[in-house]
Amino acid sequence: MTSARRRSPARLDHPALLGVAGLAGLLLIVQLLPTLGLVDDRFLPPTSAIVSALADEAGTGQFWISLKDTLVAWGWGLLIAVSAGVLAGFGIGSVPLLRNLTASTVEFLRPIPSVALIPLAVLLYGTEIGSSLLLICYAAFWQVLVQVLYGVADVDPVAYETARSYRFSAAARVRHVLWPTALPYVFTGVRLAASVALILAITAELVIGSPGLGKDIAVAQASEAVPTMYALIVVTGILGVLINLLARTGERRLLAWHQSVRGEVPA
Amino acid sequence: MRRRLLAGMVAVALAGTLTACGTSSDSDSAGGDSGSVDKVKVGVIPIIDVAPIYLGQKQGFFSKRNIELTMEAGQGGAAIVPGVVSGQFQFGFSNWTSLMIAQSKNVPIKAVAAGVSSTGVQGKDFGAVVVKGDSPIKTAADLAGKKISVNTLKNIGDTITRQSVRKAGGDPSKIEFVEMPFPNMPAALDGGQVDAAWVVEPTLTAVKAAGGREVASTFVDAAPDLSVAAYFASTELIGKNPDLVKRFTEAINESLAYADANPEAVRTVLADYTKIDEKNRAALILPKWPVAINEASVQTLATLGVEDGIFAEAPDLEKLLP
Repeated sequence: MTSARRRSPARLDHPALLGVAGLAGLLLIVQLLPTLGLVDDRFLPPTSAIVSALADEAGTGQFWISLKDTLVAWGWGLLIAVSAGVLAGFGIGSVPLLRNLTASTVEFLRPIPSVALIPLAVLLYGTEIGSSLLLICYAAFWQVLVQVLYGVADVDPVAYETARSYRFSAAARVRHVLWPTALPYVFTGVRLAASVALILAITAELVIGSPGLGKDIAVAQASEAVPTMYALIVVTGILGVLINLLARTGERRLLAWHQSVRGEVPA
Repeated sequence: MRRRLLAGMVAVALAGTLTACGTSSDSDSAGGDSGSVDKVKVGVIPIIDVAPIYLGQKQGFFSKRNIELTMEAGQGGAAIVPGVVSGQFQFGFSNWTSLMIAQSKNVPIKAVAAGVSSTGVQGKDFGAVVVKGDSPIKTAADLAGKKISVNTLKNIGDTITRQSVRKAGGDPSKIEFVEMPFPNMPAALDGGQVDAAWVVEPTLTAVKAAGGREVASTFVDAAPDLSVAAYFASTELIGKNPDLVKRFTEAINESLAYADANPEAVRTVLADYTKIDEKNRAALILPKWPVAINEASVQTLATLGVEDGIFAEAPDLEKLLP
């Protein structure tokens, strides 16, 4: 059975193939809607026009500078949010009293949209990267914090008590029991935070005017450069897909030892 | 296993750090240039009105006066005034109505140079009220009772549109104004969400290219050679660094004169800070950039604004005009 399965040709229901087919379907729909006159191409140009505009943009230096600016804000924001989230998560999660004290506060603050902080961000940092970072860190932090809290709560009490019985130090208990148990949750948090960080990076640039792709989208919109605007929007979508792929690949590799990943391999 | 995990994390941290280093290097370079040069941030909107300052920067009018210019493109004139008052920008660009609204609330700002003016030519100005090609609205008088979009409510758009209707014999009090960004207006017109739209370039050219018609040249109707906008600074900066303000004003004035005399250079520089495509850059109507502020026209805007209830108190133009 195992041998027979391995030798079969690539399955048509392979997730990657289905994903590509879905994207291709979307591109086709966007090509057809304006071409068939269902939508005015002044407002939604066909895929061919968007691709052409994308090629033009890629030929300019400004595009790559903006891409770099967006990725820098995204990267720093994610790094800060993950670091803070992991530290806070382990700190709060390890102390039942702290956990109970903060539960309501976390649930209160978590849903507050980052864009609500835009006036504060502008007041503090103007159109500098600081504004983007404030929004990104605020939104991404909660993703990581909540996952780490779940991770710490998931520790097997028998394993934990065994470690205590063997007189592991607090640091050793974190290293050998808490961290391995929480790690899958940490990676889930990182993956979610990475997507949220990108969304907020683009949003901050779009609304505040910090340098980056989002600002270019706003300029294209104001310039009545509709195909260019959609081209830049497509770039942010592609970035989202790439970031998610990167996060999932990293997660799978770094957690190869964990049963949540090993379990995916056929027995 | 442990080494691989650690290596991965180090790689991620390193990548982030290296990327940031690029940014730091840029900052270091900028820092190295400082000396007798004044670093100046100007809050602008990335529209054709501010082409002169980009041209002036390019032509060296600022650097020869020891001013290192950085343009910060905000999303609207209303956001630039707080930026200037808080010191985030040394100078800003805004329309006269926004400046007068601020002054009437005792915001400490003062104009330092002209910004942009209408062409003064009916049907050939950079701002207008437009309708769909098949709209029953034929003249400005027909706008009474209609729904008209403007980019900012209770600002220059509705004031001068009412004046166009008034001049044409219509009743401006019945107009319903709707606020939306300029880029959304062509679709709103097409879809019938609004009956007319008050637009400026490049949206004006986009609407006309799609079959739309102008029914009023609002800037032209408001006053001959209307001064539409200006560059301004906080009174604090003007008091603290009058020499910088003087040099900036001279540089702006030289830029305005250059832009007014070189329309082709203007169309070219638009590609640097906007994404208006080549065809539209060639087609759009450029405003005028006189060095002198038409103070009578600013007074007209003030009078119209008081009439429309835009200003809580009448603005004190003596404090606002340079």
